[in-house]
Amino acid sequence: MMILPVLRAGEWPAVAGLSVVAVVVGGSGVAVPATATVLLTIAFTLLATAAAFALDEPASQVVDVTPTGPVRRTGIRALALLAPVTAGTVLMLAGAQRGLALPWAATGLALGGNVMLGFAVACVARTRTGEPGGPVSGAVALILMAPMILPFVGSRVSTFPASDRTGLSSSTLWWTVLALCITAVAMSVTGRLLPRRPRPR
Amino acid sequence: MTATLAASLPDAVDGRSTFVALAARELRRFVVNPVLLFAVVMSLWTASSDQAEVVLNFAVSPYPAIFLGGFGMMATYWLTRSMRNSEPVVGVTPISEPVRTAALCVVAIVPLLCGCVCLIMSLHFYPIGSPVYGDFSEPTQVAILVGQMVIPTLGGPLLGVALGRWVGFPGAAVVLFLLIFGWVNLATWPSLTRPDSAPAAALRLFSPFAYWSFAKNRVDLMTWRGSPWFFLGWQLALCAIAVLVALLRGADGPVRPRIGRALWVALLVAGILFVLANAIGVTHTVGA
Repeated sequence: MMILPVLRAGEWPAVAGLSVVAVVVGGSGVAVPATATVLLTIAFTLLATAAAFALDEPASQVVDVTPTGPVRRTGIRALALLAPVTAGTVLMLAGAQRGLALPWAATGLALGGNVMLGFAVACVARTRTGEPGGPVSGAVALILMAPMILPFVGSRVSTFPASDRTGLSSSTLWWTVLALCITAVAMSVTGRLLPRRPRPR
Repeated sequence: MTATLAASLPDAVDGRSTFVALAARELRRFVVNPVLLFAVVMSLWTASSDQAEVVLNFAVSPYPAIFLGGFGMMATYWLTRSMRNSEPVVGVTPISEPVRTAALCVVAIVPLLCGCVCLIMSLHFYPIGSPVYGDFSEPTQVAILVGQMVIPTLGGPLLGVALGRWVGFPGAAVVLFLLIFGWVNLATWPSLTRPDSAPAAALRLFSPFAYWSFAKNRVDLMTWRGSPWFFLGWQLALCAIAVLVALLRGADGPVRPRIGRALWVALLVAGILFVLANAIGVTHTVGA
């Protein structure tokens, strides 16, 4: 009964819009295989930023005091992640169809990790603010782009599976990130990360 | 008439002092922005160390453009948007929105100066005339360096102000940064495979940042066609367009058509400079 109103209040234009932009960017990478690694990394980053908007709640001051708890609310809003996950899956299928030589299992893991990272950071930030999408999307995008932008990070960590990368493999990184994200989401929805409220005297 | 002139002179002086005060205030807010501080530190660090290991393939370091241009754009976007919640109060002050926008545009001088410092520091490792720049003449090498290391540090922050004035979506600057980053990568690729092709050159130059050479395995240096001087003009025209688009927001009365006309002129000039950057200048060469 609550599902539709909770879903309707979501920041759908941002989630869907960013997912479409990611498909366009990633689609360009699939069309021009020489740039696939760079453009798919950017596309996955855009999908992570889309996931960061899934929990935005303009009326948070009202919604936060309704009987619907954060577990249920977050669970319903997590359905919005279907948009970036579907967009990423479409890109992967298009890449496979075009014959891109990518390790698809690791790429799928990277997709799940990117989306989950955006969502988990938004969950944590949602305990402090009603609309975490803006700042979280910026922070997540900068973190995910760091290996591409910063040479000393790129030589140590890979966020996208590619054969020419050195340092920590993307699969190891994303398994670790997924575990941390699940923990962070669990802690945030159970209220353990909520700010302490002063006791009434 | 004398009375009118006498009244307008103090008005003009007042307007100028208000603008200076506003610009100084925006500058103070901007220089403590953590994103800008990070960008400045990273740019100076990459410029003060030899990045040849990473970027020699393209001869010129793209880091000032990425950090001061890209991150600077995000910083000015957030600076511009930070006043959005106060708009009902600020909007009724006697200062018009274009004046406030112009004061915001002044902050772009900070990343621009940092870009100049980065250029000077990088010349320590690869001075003008160094073989890493290929067959370009020395003045052309200066144009390439300024176009890649200095002008993007001005254009990025100005674009951030324009974006902040027109777009309400909170993640717009990050998305635009990712799109420009992706576009530069995508548009450079055809020049690698078809360096003689005019459409490939046009695609590469239709961007606020462009590479001019590539050293395969850091040995065979390939220079790409086009005119770095006219490309510099194209970049400056893009900067002017960003300022005018930002100023157009909230402009009314006789100012609006004036800004509109200036914008059309800037677009025309940008178009002409883009065509000249493609049509005139060095041709593709492969050297050792």
